[in-house]
Amino acid sequence: MLKKKSMKALLLACMLLMMAVMAAACGGGDKGSSQPSSGQAEAGKEAAAGGEKKVLKVGTDAAYPPFEKMGPDSKPVGFDMDIIKAIAEVNGWEVQIEHAGWDPLFEDIEKGKRDIAISTITIDEKRKKKYDFSDPYFDAHQLIMVPESANVTKIEDIKDMRVGVQSGTTGAALAEKILGKGNTKLRGFDDMPSAVEELYAKRVDAVVGDNGVLNDFLKNSGKAGYKVVKDPNVVPEQYGIMVKKGNKELLDEINKGLKTIKENGKYDEIFRQYFGEEKK
Amino acid sequence: MDWGVIYEYREMFIRGVGYTILFTSVGVFMGTILGLIFGLGRLSKNPLVRWPSVAYITVFRGTPLFVQILLIHFAAIPEIWGLFSEGEPPSAVFSGFVALSLNAGAYIAEIFRAGIQSIDRGQLEAARSLGMDNGQAMRFVILPQAFKRMIPPLGNEFIALLKDSSLLAVIAAPELAYAGYATAKSTFARWESYLTMAIVYLMLTLIISRFVAYLEKRFATE
Repeated sequence: MLKKKSMKALLLACMLLMMAVMAAACGGGDKGSSQPSSGQAEAGKEAAAGGEKKVLKVGTDAAYPPFEKMGPDSKPVGFDMDIIKAIAEVNGWEVQIEHAGWDPLFEDIEKGKRDIAISTITIDEKRKKKYDFSDPYFDAHQLIMVPESANVTKIEDIKDMRVGVQSGTTGAALAEKILGKGNTKLRGFDDMPSAVEELYAKRVDAVVGDNGVLNDFLKNSGKAGYKVVKDPNVVPEQYGIMVKKGNKELLDEINKGLKTIKENGKYDEIFRQYFGEEKK
Repeated sequence: MDWGVIYEYREMFIRGVGYTILFTSVGVFMGTILGLIFGLGRLSKNPLVRWPSVAYITVFRGTPLFVQILLIHFAAIPEIWGLFSEGEPPSAVFSGFVALSLNAGAYIAEIFRAGIQSIDRGQLEAARSLGMDNGQAMRFVILPQAFKRMIPPLGNEFIALLKDSSLLAVIAAPELAYAGYATAKSTFARWESYLTMAIVYLMLTLIISRFVAYLEKRFATE
């Protein structure tokens, strides 16, 4: 009898604890999400009037070093983050940068859950139909990363190879064009490090991806015996900062900020920090 | 919605269904063998047999399949392979077989254990008194009866395994979830891709549950 009672007490205690934890979690969640976009718009007006700072939610996919990666305190760091922070400084915004993941990032912008996406997003026609982009802030071209011994000089050479890419990127689209849709030799991963990992493990023969990222792997991943190949016939690309379609006001501010940091040398300073004296 | 996208990528989806069935079948088959070995191992009186079995079951039931897939594909297989050969390690499909079999084996071991333990001790004693040794009693008397009771939980495990094989998308194994995921990512057609995936998985699990129901009926005592 006593045993039954103490069991009941224990169960009740457990349930209370769970409820308390859930309530705390919800409370915490509310703080994060209780800023509807209309509220932000008003905050923006206040900022103009010299009141509080405008708070903007910035999303990224923090798995693309050196542009963005997860810092030790689980805050994204990298070239893109420094650029958006510099732009924020010019415009007097406060930015909350969060890791969203590549796919959710596009959805968040579409639904207005985030204001700004900066994540080495290439400006292309397909994306421009659904989203708006700032002026370009980085010139990119697709590179082919292969073992040093590989005989690859142009993109067509990967036709019969097993190729690793990050799914949904322009590099993936380029490789798909060469290998054909639905080719099992084309392996799409969730992030770039996984694709390069497969190259190191010899399970793919080549990786197609952006210059900034693959050069960084070549320099910093500590693996010797690999090279990157640039095919001059591949059309260059440009990264842009992405916002919800039609959000012209925000876009103008971003472009103004970008222009300012390019003029006052801040952009060059950040560029040198991540890419050295490499030609832009 | 633009369902044309699914047609465009149909090859990937069709191949994906094939691979999903293949992954599940291999997982079920190898898992059953592993499950029988380690399920019996767990019941063994010999601690040298029992403890490794307990350790295997605990580790593979106690960690997420997602983590097991990453460990096996990106760390274990290339490392182990590198010890023996300079060449390329086996592909993601092989990693998928290994991960799903090991994971299913741990769950099926517990199903075997429960099934065997559910058979009355008198059955073993009766078999022994007829002159059978322990192994014979297990094979001819205990396991056939236990198997009947194991059909519903085994059916559950097969359905779970079919759905869990979707986690192999993370290592780009060309199964169904990978097809849907890759299509969604390259075309922005999320609703179409994900819904197609969901519907096909649902059809596959329905087929398995019908099959399990048939087996249950077939082996029913009354």
